[in-house]
Amino acid sequence: MDLDALWLTFRLALTTTAILLCVGLPLAAWLAYGQSRLRPLVQALVALPLVLPPTVLGFYLLVLLGPTTAFGRVITATLGHPLAFSFTGLLIGSLLYSLPFAIQPLVSGMVAIAPELREAAATLGARPSVVFVRVTMPLIRPSLLTAGILTFTHTVGEFGVVLMLGGNIPGATRTLSIALYDEVADFNFAAANRTALLLLVFSFVSLLLVHWRAGQRSTRLV
Amino acid sequence: MLKALLLLLLIPPVFGQTKPVELRIAAAADLQPVLEVLGPAYEKKSNVHLAVSYAASSVLATQIISAGPGGPFDTFMGADFVFPEKVVAANLADTGSPIPYAKGTLVLWTRNGSPFNPLHLSALESPTLKSLAIADPEHAPYGRAAAEALKRLKLDDKVKDHLVRAENVGQAGQFAFTGNAELAIISKTLAVSPKFKQSGTFVLFPFSSYTPLTQTAVVLRNAARRDAAHAFLDWFLSREVQQQLPELGLTPVN
Repeated sequence: MDLDALWLTFRLALTTTAILLCVGLPLAAWLAYGQSRLRPLVQALVALPLVLPPTVLGFYLLVLLGPTTAFGRVITATLGHPLAFSFTGLLIGSLLYSLPFAIQPLVSGMVAIAPELREAAATLGARPSVVFVRVTMPLIRPSLLTAGILTFTHTVGEFGVVLMLGGNIPGATRTLSIALYDEVADFNFAAANRTALLLLVFSFVSLLLVHWRAGQRSTRLV
Repeated sequence: MLKALLLLLLIPPVFGQTKPVELRIAAAADLQPVLEVLGPAYEKKSNVHLAVSYAASSVLATQIISAGPGGPFDTFMGADFVFPEKVVAANLADTGSPIPYAKGTLVLWTRNGSPFNPLHLSALESPTLKSLAIADPEHAPYGRAAAEALKRLKLDDKVKDHLVRAENVGQAGQFAFTGNAELAIISKTLAVSPKFKQSGTFVLFPFSSYTPLTQTAVVLRNAARRDAAHAFLDWFLSREVQQQLPELGLTPVN
Protein backbone atom coordinates (compact mmCIF):
# COMPACT_ATOMS: atom_id res chain seq x y z
CA MET A 1 0.00 0.00 0.00
CA ASP A 2 1.27 3.43 -0.98
CA LEU A 3 0.88 5.26 2.36
CA ASP A 4 2.02 8.59 0.92
CA ALA A 5 -0.74 8.36 -1.66
CA LEU A 6 -3.28 7.38 0.99
CA TRP A 7 -2.36 10.33 3.24
CA LEU A 8 -2.31 12.76 0.32
CA THR A 9 -5.70 11.57 -0.93
CA PHE A 10 -7.11 11.97 2.58
CA ARG A 11 -5.71 15.50 2.92
CA LEU A 12 -6.97 16.53 -0.51
CA ALA A 13 -10.46 15.15 0.12
CA LEU A 14 -10.69 16.65 3.60
CA THR A 15 -9.52 20.12 2.50
CA THR A 16 -11.86 20.05 -0.48
CA THR A 17 -14.81 19.02 1.71
CA ALA A 18 -14.10 21.65 4.37
CA ILE A 19 -13.81 24.48 1.84
CA LEU A 20 -16.82 23.38 -0.19
CA LEU A 21 -19.07 23.09 2.86
CA CYS A 22 -18.11 26.61 4.01
CA VAL A 23 -18.56 28.14 0.56
CA GLY A 24 -21.48 25.84 -0.19
CA LEU A 25 -23.78 26.93 2.65
CA PRO A 26 -24.31 30.55 1.58
CA LEU A 27 -24.35 29.58 -2.09
CA ALA A 28 -26.91 26.83 -1.46
CA ALA A 29 -29.05 29.24 0.60
CA TRP A 30 -28.98 31.73 -2.25
CA LEU A 31 -29.97 29.00 -4.71
CA ALA A 32 -32.71 27.64 -2.43
CA TYR A 33 -34.27 30.95 -1.30
CA GLY A 34 -33.01 33.58 -3.70
CA GLN A 35 -35.27 35.36 -6.17
CA SER A 36 -32.58 36.56 -8.55
CA ARG A 37 -33.05 36.06 -12.27
CA LEU A 38 -29.45 34.85 -12.39
CA ARG A 39 -30.42 31.73 -10.45
CA PRO A 40 -30.83 29.34 -13.42
CA LEU A 41 -27.45 30.49 -14.73
CA VAL A 42 -25.72 29.75 -11.44
CA GLN A 43 -27.60 26.45 -11.07
CA ALA A 44 -26.37 25.38 -14.49
CA LEU A 45 -22.79 26.44 -13.68
CA VAL A 46 -22.81 24.55 -10.39
CA ALA A 47 -24.16 21.39 -12.04
CA LEU A 48 -21.69 21.60 -14.93
CA PRO A 49 -18.98 19.36 -13.41
CA LEU A 50 -21.54 16.53 -13.19
CA VAL A 51 -21.68 16.23 -16.95
CA LEU A 52 -18.38 17.71 -18.09
CA PRO A 53 -15.52 15.30 -18.85
CA PRO A 54 -12.76 15.87 -16.27
CA THR A 55 -10.37 16.25 -19.20
CA VAL A 56 -12.06 19.57 -20.08
CA LEU A 57 -11.23 20.85 -16.61
CA GLY A 58 -7.71 19.40 -16.84
CA PHE A 59 -7.14 21.05 -20.20
CA TYR A 60 -8.21 24.52 -19.03
CA LEU A 61 -6.21 24.31 -15.82
CA LEU A 62 -3.12 23.15 -17.70
CA VAL A 63 -3.25 25.42 -20.73
CA LEU A 64 -5.41 28.49 -19.97
CA LEU A 65 -4.07 28.81 -16.43
CA GLY A 66 -0.56 27.72 -17.50
CA PRO A 67 2.43 30.06 -17.75
CA THR A 68 1.96 30.72 -21.47
CA THR A 69 -1.12 32.93 -20.94
CA ALA A 70 -1.27 36.34 -19.23
CA PHE A 71 -3.73 35.10 -16.62
CA GLY A 72 -1.58 32.05 -15.99
CA ARG A 73 1.50 34.23 -15.51
CA VAL A 74 -0.30 36.17 -12.78
CA ILE A 75 -1.12 32.91 -11.01
CA THR A 76 2.43 31.63 -11.44
CA ALA A 77 3.86 34.86 -10.06
CA THR A 78 1.45 34.85 -7.09
CA LEU A 79 2.01 31.23 -6.13
CA GLY A 80 5.68 31.15 -7.08
CA HIS A 81 4.96 28.10 -9.25
CA PRO A 82 2.41 27.08 -11.89
CA LEU A 83 -0.86 25.47 -10.76
CA ALA A 84 0.17 22.22 -12.39
CA PHE A 85 2.16 19.68 -10.36
CA SER A 86 1.14 21.19 -7.03
CA PHE A 87 -1.26 20.38 -4.23
CA THR A 88 -2.87 23.81 -4.75
CA GLY A 89 -3.52 22.95 -8.38
CA LEU A 90 -5.15 19.65 -7.45
CA LEU A 91 -7.17 21.41 -4.75
CA ILE A 92 -8.54 23.95 -7.24
CA GLY A 93 -9.34 21.13 -9.65
CA SER A 94 -11.10 19.17 -6.87
CA LEU A 95 -13.10 22.18 -5.69
CA LEU A 96 -14.52 22.67 -9.16
CA TYR A 97 -14.90 18.97 -9.83
CA SER A 98 -16.78 18.19 -6.57
CA LEU A 99 -18.81 21.42 -6.32
CA PRO A 100 -22.20 19.94 -7.33
CA PHE A 101 -21.78 17.10 -4.84
CA ALA A 102 -21.62 19.63 -2.01
CA ILE A 103 -24.24 22.09 -3.28
CA GLN A 104 -27.03 19.85 -4.50
CA PRO A 105 -27.74 17.96 -1.23
CA LEU A 106 -27.66 21.26 0.67
CA VAL A 107 -30.09 22.91 -1.74
CA SER A 108 -32.54 19.99 -1.58
CA GLY A 109 -32.27 19.97 2.21
CA MET A 110 -33.05 23.68 2.40
CA VAL A 111 -35.92 23.52 -0.08
CA ALA A 112 -37.48 20.68 1.94
CA ILE A 113 -37.81 22.81 5.09
CA ALA A 114 -41.40 23.96 5.55
CA PRO A 115 -41.41 27.74 4.82
CA GLU A 116 -43.69 28.31 7.87
CA LEU A 117 -40.83 27.46 10.22
CA ARG A 118 -38.57 30.15 8.83
CA GLU A 119 -41.45 32.60 8.51
CA ALA A 120 -42.46 32.00 12.13
CA ALA A 121 -38.93 32.76 13.30
CA ALA A 122 -38.89 35.89 11.16
CA THR A 123 -42.23 37.16 12.53
CA LEU A 124 -40.85 36.65 16.03
CA GLY A 125 -38.17 39.15 15.12
CA ALA A 126 -35.23 36.93 14.15
CA ARG A 127 -32.90 38.47 11.60
CA PRO A 128 -32.24 36.40 8.41
CA SER A 129 -28.81 35.39 9.70
CA VAL A 130 -30.31 34.22 13.01
CA VAL A 131 -33.01 32.28 11.14
CA PHE A 132 -30.30 30.62 9.09
CA VAL A 133 -28.16 29.61 12.07
CA ARG A 134 -30.92 28.65 14.52
CA VAL A 135 -33.64 27.24 12.25
CA THR A 136 -32.22 26.25 8.87
CA MET A 137 -28.87 24.82 10.00
CA PRO A 138 -30.26 22.36 12.60
CA LEU A 139 -32.89 21.17 10.11
CA ILE A 140 -30.43 20.50 7.29
CA ARG A 141 -27.94 18.56 9.43
CA PRO A 142 -28.62 15.30 7.55
CA SER A 143 -28.08 17.06 4.19
CA LEU A 144 -24.89 18.55 5.53
CA LEU A 145 -23.64 15.08 6.36
CA THR A 146 -24.68 13.76 2.93
CA ALA A 147 -22.98 16.68 1.21
CA GLY A 148 -19.82 16.09 3.24
CA ILE A 149 -19.66 12.36 2.54
CA LEU A 150 -20.41 12.73 -1.17
CA THR A 151 -17.85 15.50 -1.62
CA PHE A 152 -15.18 13.58 0.23
CA THR A 153 -15.87 10.33 -1.65
CA HIS A 154 -16.09 12.01 -5.03
CA THR A 155 -12.75 13.76 -4.45
CA VAL A 156 -11.14 10.45 -3.47
CA GLY A 157 -12.45 9.07 -6.77
CA GLU A 158 -11.02 11.87 -8.89
CA PHE A 159 -8.75 10.64 -11.69
CA GLY A 160 -8.86 12.51 -14.99
CA VAL A 161 -8.01 15.95 -13.65
CA VAL A 162 -5.19 14.59 -11.51
CA LEU A 163 -3.75 12.60 -14.40
CA MET A 164 -3.70 15.63 -16.66
CA LEU A 165 -2.47 18.13 -14.12
CA GLY A 166 -0.64 16.25 -11.40
CA GLY A 167 2.74 15.11 -12.63
CA ASN A 168 2.60 12.08 -10.32
CA ILE A 169 4.78 13.54 -7.56
CA PRO A 170 4.85 11.32 -4.46
CA GLY A 171 3.40 13.18 -1.47
CA ALA A 172 2.24 16.14 -3.56
CA THR A 173 0.11 14.96 -6.46
CA ARG A 174 0.25 11.15 -6.55
CA THR A 175 -3.22 10.24 -5.27
CA LEU A 176 -4.56 6.71 -4.69
CA SER A 177 -6.38 6.56 -8.03
CA ILE A 178 -3.11 7.47 -9.82
CA ALA A 179 -1.14 4.98 -7.72
CA LEU A 180 -3.63 2.30 -8.79
CA TYR A 181 -3.24 3.25 -12.45
CA ASP A 182 0.55 2.97 -12.10
CA GLU A 183 0.37 -0.36 -10.32
CA VAL A 184 -1.75 -1.79 -13.14
CA ALA A 185 0.59 -0.43 -15.82
CA ASP A 186 3.57 -1.91 -13.97
CA PHE A 187 1.95 -5.37 -13.94
CA ASN A 188 1.96 -5.13 -10.13
CA PHE A 189 -1.46 -6.69 -9.75
CA ALA A 190 -1.04 -7.62 -6.07
CA ALA A 191 -0.52 -3.98 -5.08
CA ALA A 192 -3.26 -2.89 -7.50
CA ASN A 193 -5.60 -5.34 -5.82
CA ARG A 194 -4.96 -3.86 -2.38
CA THR A 195 -5.46 -0.28 -3.57
CA ALA A 196 -8.56 -1.14 -5.58
CA LEU A 197 -10.12 -3.08 -2.71
CA LEU A 198 -9.48 -0.23 -0.29
CA LEU A 199 -11.15 2.26 -2.66
CA LEU A 200 -14.05 -0.10 -3.30
CA VAL A 201 -14.75 -0.81 0.37
CA PHE A 202 -14.33 2.83 1.36
CA SER A 203 -16.70 4.08 -1.35
CA PHE A 204 -19.27 1.41 -0.60
CA VAL A 205 -19.26 2.07 3.15
CA SER A 206 -19.57 5.82 2.57
CA LEU A 207 -22.57 5.40 0.30
CA LEU A 208 -24.07 2.87 2.68
CA LEU A 209 -23.82 5.46 5.43
CA VAL A 210 -25.63 8.05 3.28
CA HIS A 211 -28.43 5.69 2.32
CA TRP A 212 -28.74 4.07 5.71
CA ARG A 213 -29.23 7.45 7.35
CA ALA A 214 -31.63 8.53 4.61
CA GLY A 215 -33.62 5.33 5.18
CA GLN A 216 -33.74 5.96 8.94
CA ARG A 217 -35.02 9.47 8.37
CA SER A 218 -37.82 8.48 6.04
CA THR A 219 -39.11 5.75 8.39
CA ARG A 220 -39.05 8.20 11.25
CA LEU A 221 -41.09 10.72 9.29
CA VAL A 222 -43.75 8.25 8.19
CA MET B 1 -42.99 -0.44 -58.40
CA LEU B 2 -42.52 -1.12 -54.70
CA LYS B 3 -40.70 -4.32 -55.53
CA ALA B 4 -38.30 -2.43 -57.79
CA LEU B 5 -37.54 0.04 -55.01
CA LEU B 6 -36.90 -2.75 -52.54
CA LEU B 7 -34.53 -4.38 -55.02
CA LEU B 8 -32.63 -1.11 -55.30
CA LEU B 9 -32.04 -1.21 -51.55
CA LEU B 10 -30.42 -4.61 -51.87
CA ILE B 11 -27.73 -3.41 -54.27
CA PRO B 12 -24.45 -2.98 -52.36
CA PRO B 13 -23.84 0.72 -51.79
CA VAL B 14 -20.15 0.70 -52.74
CA PHE B 15 -18.99 0.45 -56.32
CA GLY B 16 -15.43 0.36 -57.60
CA GLN B 17 -12.89 0.66 -54.80
CA THR B 18 -13.25 -1.90 -52.04
CA LYS B 19 -13.52 -0.79 -48.47
CA PRO B 20 -10.07 -0.24 -46.94
CA VAL B 21 -8.75 -2.76 -44.45
CA GLU B 22 -8.55 -1.24 -40.98
CA LEU B 23 -5.22 -2.01 -39.33
CA ARG B 24 -5.26 -1.49 -35.58
CA ILE B 25 -1.91 -0.39 -34.19
CA ALA B 26 -0.99 0.03 -30.53
CA ALA B 27 1.91 2.48 -30.69
CA ALA B 28 4.27 3.94 -28.12
CA ALA B 29 3.63 7.64 -27.51
CA ASP B 30 6.93 8.71 -29.14
CA LEU B 31 5.60 7.42 -32.49
CA GLN B 32 2.71 9.87 -32.70
CA PRO B 33 4.56 12.54 -34.72
CA VAL B 34 6.22 9.80 -36.83
CA LEU B 35 3.03 7.96 -37.78
CA GLU B 36 1.24 11.24 -38.39
CA VAL B 37 3.68 11.73 -41.26
CA LEU B 38 4.23 8.15 -42.42
CA GLY B 39 0.64 6.94 -41.86
CA PRO B 40 -1.04 9.01 -44.58
CA ALA B 41 1.78 8.09 -47.00
CA TYR B 42 1.14 4.39 -46.38
CA GLU B 43 -2.62 4.80 -46.61
CA LYS B 44 -2.21 6.46 -50.01
CA LYS B 45 -0.16 3.62 -51.49
CA SER B 46 -2.08 0.71 -49.95
CA ASN B 47 -5.75 0.08 -49.37
CA VAL B 48 -5.24 0.15 -45.61
CA HIS B 49 -6.59 2.54 -43.04
CA LEU B 50 -4.42 2.89 -39.93
CA ALA B 51 -6.24 3.16 -36.61
CA VAL B 52 -3.52 4.00 -34.11
CA SER B 53 -3.83 4.09 -30.31
CA TYR B 54 -1.01 5.92 -28.54
CA ALA B 55 0.03 5.34 -24.92
CA ALA B 56 3.03 4.45 -22.80
CA SER B 57 4.51 1.11 -23.90
CA SER B 58 3.73 -0.59 -20.60
CA VAL B 59 0.13 0.58 -20.60
CA LEU B 60 -0.31 -0.91 -24.08
CA ALA B 61 1.48 -4.15 -23.11
CA THR B 62 -0.75 -4.52 -20.04
CA GLN B 63 -3.86 -3.98 -22.13
CA ILE B 64 -2.75 -6.42 -24.83
CA ILE B 65 -1.80 -9.12 -22.32
CA SER B 66 -4.97 -8.62 -20.25
CA ALA B 67 -7.16 -8.81 -23.35
CA GLY B 68 -5.49 -12.08 -24.38
CA PRO B 69 -5.96 -13.68 -27.80
CA GLY B 70 -9.24 -11.88 -28.47
CA GLY B 71 -7.79 -8.37 -28.14
CA PRO B 72 -8.48 -5.58 -30.62
CA PHE B 73 -4.96 -4.83 -31.87
CA ASP B 74 -3.14 -6.29 -34.88
CA THR B 75 0.31 -5.02 -34.04
CA PHE B 76 2.13 -3.40 -31.14
CA MET B 77 4.96 -0.96 -31.85
CA GLY B 78 6.76 -0.36 -28.57
CA ALA B 79 9.44 2.16 -27.70
CA ASP B 80 11.88 -0.51 -26.49
CA PHE B 81 12.52 -4.25 -26.43
CA VAL B 82 11.20 -4.95 -22.91
CA PHE B 83 7.46 -4.43 -23.38
CA PRO B 84 7.01 -6.12 -26.78
CA GLU B 85 9.05 -9.00 -25.29
CA LYS B 86 6.43 -9.31 -22.52
CA VAL B 87 3.81 -9.83 -25.24
CA VAL B 88 6.03 -12.54 -26.78
CA ALA B 89 6.45 -14.16 -23.35
CA ALA B 90 2.66 -14.19 -22.92
CA ASN B 91 2.54 -16.27 -26.10
CA LEU B 92 0.52 -13.64 -27.94
CA ALA B 93 3.02 -12.68 -30.68
CA ASP B 94 3.47 -14.50 -33.97
CA THR B 95 7.28 -14.26 -33.92
CA GLY B 96 9.75 -15.74 -31.43
CA SER B 97 11.15 -12.32 -30.63
CA PRO B 98 10.19 -8.68 -31.19
CA ILE B 99 11.14 -7.10 -34.53
CA PRO B 100 13.42 -4.03 -34.25
CA TYR B 101 12.19 -1.21 -36.50
CA ALA B 102 14.09 1.93 -35.37
CA LYS B 103 16.29 3.40 -32.67
CA GLY B 104 15.21 6.29 -30.47
CA THR B 105 17.14 9.35 -29.29
CA LEU B 106 16.75 11.15 -25.99
CA VAL B 107 16.75 14.97 -25.88
CA LEU B 108 16.32 17.82 -23.42
CA TRP B 109 13.73 20.35 -24.58
CA THR B 110 12.72 23.84 -23.48
CA ARG B 111 10.43 26.54 -24.80
CA ASN B 112 11.69 29.58 -26.69
CA GLY B 113 11.98 32.42 -24.23
CA SER B 114 12.87 30.10 -21.36
CA PRO B 115 15.65 31.40 -19.08
CA PHE B 116 17.58 28.21 -19.88
CA ASN B 117 18.32 29.36 -23.42
CA PRO B 118 20.78 28.83 -25.03
CA LEU B 119 19.98 25.33 -23.91
CA HIS B 120 22.71 23.06 -22.63
CA LEU B 121 22.63 19.93 -20.46
CA SER B 122 24.12 22.03 -17.65
CA ALA B 123 20.63 23.58 -17.27
CA LEU B 124 19.88 20.43 -15.27
CA GLU B 125 22.37 21.56 -12.63
CA SER B 126 20.96 25.07 -12.41
CA PRO B 127 19.98 26.11 -8.87
CA THR B 128 17.00 28.01 -10.29
CA LEU B 129 15.49 24.93 -11.94
CA LYS B 130 12.01 24.29 -10.57
CA SER B 131 10.47 21.62 -12.75
CA LEU B 132 11.76 18.95 -15.10
CA ALA B 133 9.22 16.69 -16.78
CA ILE B 134 10.14 13.13 -17.67
CA ALA B 135 7.99 10.21 -18.77
CA ASP B 136 7.29 7.70 -16.02
CA PRO B 137 10.49 5.61 -15.66
CA GLU B 138 8.48 2.52 -14.81
CA HIS B 139 6.09 2.50 -17.71
CA ALA B 140 7.63 4.49 -20.49
CA PRO B 141 10.91 3.46 -22.13
CA TYR B 142 11.87 7.12 -22.70
CA GLY B 143 11.24 7.72 -19.01
CA ARG B 144 13.49 4.83 -18.09
CA ALA B 145 16.20 6.13 -20.43
CA ALA B 146 15.81 9.62 -18.93
CA ALA B 147 16.22 8.32 -15.38
CA GLU B 148 19.23 6.25 -16.46
CA ALA B 149 20.88 9.20 -18.22
CA LEU B 150 20.35 11.49 -15.22
CA LYS B 151 21.93 8.87 -13.00
CA ARG B 152 24.94 8.24 -15.22
CA LEU B 153 25.55 11.97 -15.62
CA LYS B 154 25.31 12.22 -11.80
CA LEU B 155 22.43 14.69 -12.07
CA ASP B 156 19.79 12.57 -10.37
CA ASP B 157 20.36 14.05 -6.91
CA LYS B 158 20.29 17.59 -8.28
CA VAL B 159 16.95 17.22 -10.09
CA LYS B 160 15.30 14.79 -7.67
CA ASP B 161 13.09 17.44 -6.02
CA HIS B 162 12.04 19.00 -9.32
CA LEU B 163 10.98 15.89 -11.20
CA VAL B 164 7.49 15.82 -12.63
CA ARG B 165 6.49 12.40 -13.88
CA ALA B 166 4.26 12.32 -16.94
CA GLU B 167 2.17 9.34 -17.90
CA ASN B 168 4.06 8.91 -21.17
CA VAL B 169 6.63 10.79 -23.24
CA GLY B 170 3.91 12.71 -25.08
CA GLN B 171 2.60 14.12 -21.82
CA ALA B 172 6.14 14.99 -20.69
CA GLY B 173 6.45 17.06 -23.85
CA GLN B 174 3.03 18.61 -23.32
CA PHE B 175 3.96 19.68 -19.75
CA ALA B 176 6.93 21.66 -21.11
CA PHE B 177 5.11 22.79 -24.25
CA THR B 178 2.39 24.43 -22.13
CA GLY B 179 5.10 26.07 -20.02
CA ASN B 180 4.06 24.29 -16.84
CA ALA B 181 7.40 22.45 -16.68
CA GLU B 182 10.55 24.42 -17.42
CA LEU B 183 12.42 21.55 -19.05
CA ALA B 184 11.44 18.13 -20.36
CA ILE B 185 13.38 15.05 -21.33
CA ILE B 186 11.58 13.70 -24.38
CA SER B 187 12.08 11.73 -27.57
CA LYS B 188 13.73 13.37 -30.53
CA THR B 189 10.64 12.37 -32.54
CA LEU B 190 8.61 14.89 -30.52
CA ALA B 191 11.33 17.53 -30.48
CA VAL B 192 11.64 17.62 -34.30
CA SER B 193 7.87 17.61 -34.91
CA PRO B 194 6.66 20.91 -36.40
CA LYS B 195 4.95 22.26 -33.26
CA PHE B 196 7.83 21.56 -30.89
CA LYS B 197 10.41 22.74 -33.40
CA GLN B 198 8.59 26.02 -33.77
CA SER B 199 8.13 26.62 -30.03
CA GLY B 200 11.41 25.50 -28.56
CA THR B 201 14.91 24.09 -28.78
CA PHE B 202 16.53 20.81 -27.83
CA VAL B 203 19.92 19.28 -27.13
CA LEU B 204 20.85 15.61 -27.31
CA PHE B 205 21.91 13.48 -24.37
CA PRO B 206 25.24 11.71 -24.91
CA PHE B 207 24.51 8.30 -26.46
CA SER B 208 26.71 6.70 -23.81
CA SER B 209 24.44 7.93 -21.01
CA TYR B 210 21.55 5.53 -21.67
CA THR B 211 20.95 2.02 -22.96
CA PRO B 212 20.13 2.32 -26.68
CA LEU B 213 16.40 2.66 -27.24
CA THR B 214 15.94 -0.10 -29.79
CA GLN B 215 12.27 0.18 -30.63
CA THR B 216 10.65 -3.15 -31.50
CA ALA B 217 7.28 -4.38 -32.69
CA VAL B 218 5.25 -7.57 -32.57
CA VAL B 219 2.36 -8.76 -34.71
CA LEU B 220 -0.29 -10.43 -32.58
CA ARG B 221 -0.75 -14.13 -33.20
CA ASN B 222 -4.53 -14.03 -33.38
CA ALA B 223 -4.80 -10.70 -35.12
CA ALA B 224 -7.64 -10.43 -37.61
CA ARG B 225 -5.38 -8.59 -40.05
CA ARG B 226 -2.06 -10.32 -39.50
CA ASP B 227 -0.97 -10.12 -43.13
CA ALA B 228 -1.74 -6.44 -43.33
CA ALA B 229 0.23 -5.91 -40.11
CA HIS B 230 3.30 -7.69 -41.52
CA ALA B 231 2.99 -5.80 -44.77
CA PHE B 232 2.98 -2.52 -42.85
CA LEU B 233 6.04 -3.46 -40.75
CA ASP B 234 7.87 -4.65 -43.91
CA TRP B 235 7.15 -1.28 -45.47
CA PHE B 236 8.42 0.47 -42.31
CA LEU B 237 11.63 -1.56 -42.60
CA SER B 238 12.05 -0.82 -46.30
CA ARG B 239 15.02 1.28 -47.39
CA GLU B 240 12.75 4.06 -48.55
CA VAL B 241 11.12 4.53 -45.11
CA GLN B 242 14.23 3.84 -43.04
CA GLN B 243 16.05 6.57 -44.98
CA GLN B 244 13.29 8.97 -44.05
CA LEU B 245 13.49 8.16 -40.31
CA PRO B 246 16.32 10.57 -39.32
CA GLU B 247 14.27 13.62 -40.28
CA LEU B 248 11.49 12.24 -38.06
CA GLY B 249 13.83 11.85 -35.07
CA LEU B 250 14.58 8.12 -35.31
CA THR B 251 17.69 6.20 -36.38
CA PRO B 252 17.31 3.39 -38.95
CA VAL B 253 17.96 -0.15 -37.75
CA ASN B 254 19.47 -1.44 -40.99
